Amino acid sequence: MSEQKATRTVVVTDPAGVHARAAVDIVKVVRKFRSKVVLSKDRQQAEGTDVLQILSLVMQYGSQVLLEATGPDAEDVLDAMEPLFAEPKPS
Amino acid sequence: MKFADFVCPEAIRADLAAKDKEGAIREIVQALLDAGKIAPGEKDSIVKAILKREELGSTGIGRGVAVPHTKHPSVEHLLGAVAVSRQGVDFASLDGERVNLFFLLISPPDRPGDHLRALENISRQLRDDTFCRFLKQAKTAEEIKQLLNEADNNQFGP
Repeated sequence: MSEQKATRTVVVTDPAGVHARAAVDIVKVVRKFRSKVVLSKDRQQAEGTDVLQILSLVMQYGSQVLLEATGPDAEDVLDAMEPLFAEPKPS
Repeated sequence: MKFADFVCPEAIRADLAAKDKEGAIREIVQALLDAGKIAPGEKDSIVKAILKREELGSTGIGRGVAVPHTKHPSVEHLLGAVAVSRQGVDFASLDGERVNLFFLLISPPDRPGDHLRALENISRQLRDDTFCRFLKQAKTAEEIKQLLNEADNNQFGP
């Protein structure tokens, strides 16, 4: 099994920031993949599968967040996560 | 931000009677009304707004905790209520567990930062298993109030 490592910096463009439901959505997406994901902001880290840790990062509008994924589908999980930091499209 | 900055002490409930999501939200918003924090005419509109947000995705964040919330033009600053349910409420949570612990937040539409900082405080404190367990076991509003005070004074966690 090939171990990939992928990193990406995203900027929060949702005016509401990463609130409770957004954090739940991040965890739901990360769980669909096999790679381990760590989010970092201001030297604080959160595991991609832990809502409480993610909310503790206080990702507001304009915050820069570093996403790091390690595992067989590292790029794919980051591709799937990236839109979650943007303003939700009206459904 | 600390619990004391947004939790109304008079809107803490130790034993919710409601058995479903809508009932729990109604009961907690009623607690804020009884505490004189929201106007009687706004109650239904606030409950409806919170339920609408829940339809977009449950705020049951796992570990028996939910943070139902909404923005509402009738409030001037962030308002929070805390409630414990002994029997637990089915909240369609992330982990499928019933919810025993509720932090309900109502914020003014133009202050998303305060809302995030309150969520940060709640989530940081709840990462401490002892605090989380003590809160769920609390039998009176007074006990909950004390636990929140202790958390504000850094008596839990690292």
